[in-house]
Amino acid sequence: MSQAHEKQNPAFYAIIALLVFMSVGPVLLMFVNSFKLDVDIISGTTGLIFLPTIQNYETALCDILWYEPEHLDFCALKFGGAFINSLIIALISTLLTLVIGCMAAYALVRFRFMGRDTVSLTTLMVRMVPPAVLLVPVFGLWNNEFCLDRDGLIGGFIRDTFGGRGDVCLAGTHSGIILVYVAMNLPFVIWILQSFIVQVPRSLEEAARVDGAGPFQVFFKVVLPLIKPGLAAAAIFTFRIAWNEYLLASALSDRNTRTVPILIVNNMSEFNVEWGVIMATGMLLAIPPIIFTLFASRQIITGMTAGAVKG
Amino acid sequence: MPTIQLDNLIKRYGEVEVLHGIELEMADNEFTVLVGPSGCGKSTTLRMVAGLEDVTEGEIYVDGKPVSHLEPKDRDLAMVFQDYALYPHMNVAQNISFALRLARRPKAEVHAKVKEVADMVGLTDFLHRKPGALSGGQRQRVAMARALAKDSGIFLFDEPLSNLDAKLRGQLRAELALMSQRVEKNMIYVTHDQIEAMTLADRIVVMHGGYIQQQGSPEALFKRPVNKFVAGFLGMPPMNFLNGEIKEEAGDVFVKGNGFSLRLQDEKAQAAKAHRVREVVLGVRPSDLVFDAEAPSDQALTLDVMVSEYVGAQSVLLCQCGADQVTVEMNSETPMALGQTLRFRITPNRVHLFDRESEDAIQSK
Repeated sequence: MSQAHEKQNPAFYAIIALLVFMSVGPVLLMFVNSFKLDVDIISGTTGLIFLPTIQNYETALCDILWYEPEHLDFCALKFGGAFINSLIIALISTLLTLVIGCMAAYALVRFRFMGRDTVSLTTLMVRMVPPAVLLVPVFGLWNNEFCLDRDGLIGGFIRDTFGGRGDVCLAGTHSGIILVYVAMNLPFVIWILQSFIVQVPRSLEEAARVDGAGPFQVFFKVVLPLIKPGLAAAAIFTFRIAWNEYLLASALSDRNTRTVPILIVNNMSEFNVEWGVIMATGMLLAIPPIIFTLFASRQIITGMTAGAVKG
Repeated sequence: MPTIQLDNLIKRYGEVEVLHGIELEMADNEFTVLVGPSGCGKSTTLRMVAGLEDVTEGEIYVDGKPVSHLEPKDRDLAMVFQDYALYPHMNVAQNISFALRLARRPKAEVHAKVKEVADMVGLTDFLHRKPGALSGGQRQRVAMARALAKDSGIFLFDEPLSNLDAKLRGQLRAELALMSQRVEKNMIYVTHDQIEAMTLADRIVVMHGGYIQQQGSPEALFKRPVNKFVAGFLGMPPMNFLNGEIKEEAGDVFVKGNGFSLRLQDEKAQAAKAHRVREVVLGVRPSDLVFDAEAPSDQALTLDVMVSEYVGAQSVLLCQCGADQVTVEMNSETPMALGQTLRFRITPNRVHLFDRESEDAIQSK
């Protein structure tokens, strides 16, 4: 306790202030600008004196508002739809990544099989491939290879039910984007979870086996609850990447599966950049990851395994 | 409760053979203690019985049925681990009832069993605590309660007391002895502590280097060890060993060594006489040496007292006999000065003779 009252070096505070400014500054700027009219933003008067307006938010949310904003003749921005797309894609890809990731990590840590070390290493190497490299091949594959013939049984059924003209392809579907995100995040998640699973004492699993648990019960009832902090960390990581990803989503989505980051960029054209709307959408975009992180980080409690075995 | 039989059990890790054909039979309701120094294979044997290690060769029979291919859960056993292995995310009650809940027993039954077992080990007030909030002794009790709740016929202990401090260990050892009388189970207990082995066991199995050295009741092993290892391992302070040679003079058989000449009596003499090898090791327990200045010289050791360790009612004397060190346990009331040369009478027929080369005991059949 006494340490907290010790006088710190002024440089220490200066650095902290700088770091706070660097991290909070842009968010603050976005927040302030989202309440300004484009005129106020462009005019360059950086002052805080302006007439706050929720017009930008009205424009951004026009398709889910219960009233019609006065300043709009036509609701061009489908924020609601994009938001739901983003949620579907981010949540499902996070869930899939965690489910597959924790099982793969457990197998890599606990089971002995041929090529185990190679698999463990290559998963990490896959992580080193930049997403941009994936873009062209994935785009080609999703558009031309993984398609169901429109005259075929399933393809025909999907086309009749959901409409559309050409073959039914992975490109432009939620599944297509989710698949890419899972593949992209899986190596890192496996890598994180491996380090957590290694820390679960082996005798716990042995105790569970003696107590009558089968392999899956050992995993779900003993190992999984103990690596919760790792799962939470991995979930935050995966969710944020899936939520923010732009490049692959812009190439693989179509009008109906567009995510929020793509939507934001649509406000830029060669004639006009609607800064106010961009800022407002950006603010809205930031809310779900914040909620998700707050929720998930509550699971990160250190010392989960305390008391399991004699240290 | 089931009988357990180990038939020529062999364990190899790759090329290395760590258990060389263990043969063991455990009767009904028997408390068997496997004891030996670290790395002697006692834990491996236990883990093979539990099903946590594969059997390389040989077979384990429970009630005459081979079980070595079965999963641990199908072997009707419960186990207490050295490091407790409590589930940290469950409270005490959940830990105890884990096996029952896995077996999908009715809730009322689970509840009653938890209560009964918690009462038995004195954990009733802690049922809602997590293991992290318990002391070492309490955690060990939870581990025992968890095994008890399972109600299986075989009970395995893997050095359960080795992580506790000395006082608690003694207390829990007594509780364990009490428990083993009350519950009718076949228990196998692994320890490196010979006191635990002596106090708890119906049958002690002394292991060394992957072989069973000797098995039998604590008393039999203490009184008639078959080799030098068993003799030195059991008993505290450990047995004294003095190199000597068997000599026959005028019909009497003597063991003569550096600083002593001991006349053997009765069966010891006959066994020594019949034995081919003359180079032997004389073994005398520290408690079998009695201070007696009047003792005849062929029934006594003359020792120089070097150090006296006072341990309350008893004192342990470190003495010199020729080139060898000898410990003597004696009443601490006996007046004693360091540097003195004293004579200690050896209780006849309490000496042990071992072949110096093979280290086997020289005993009459």
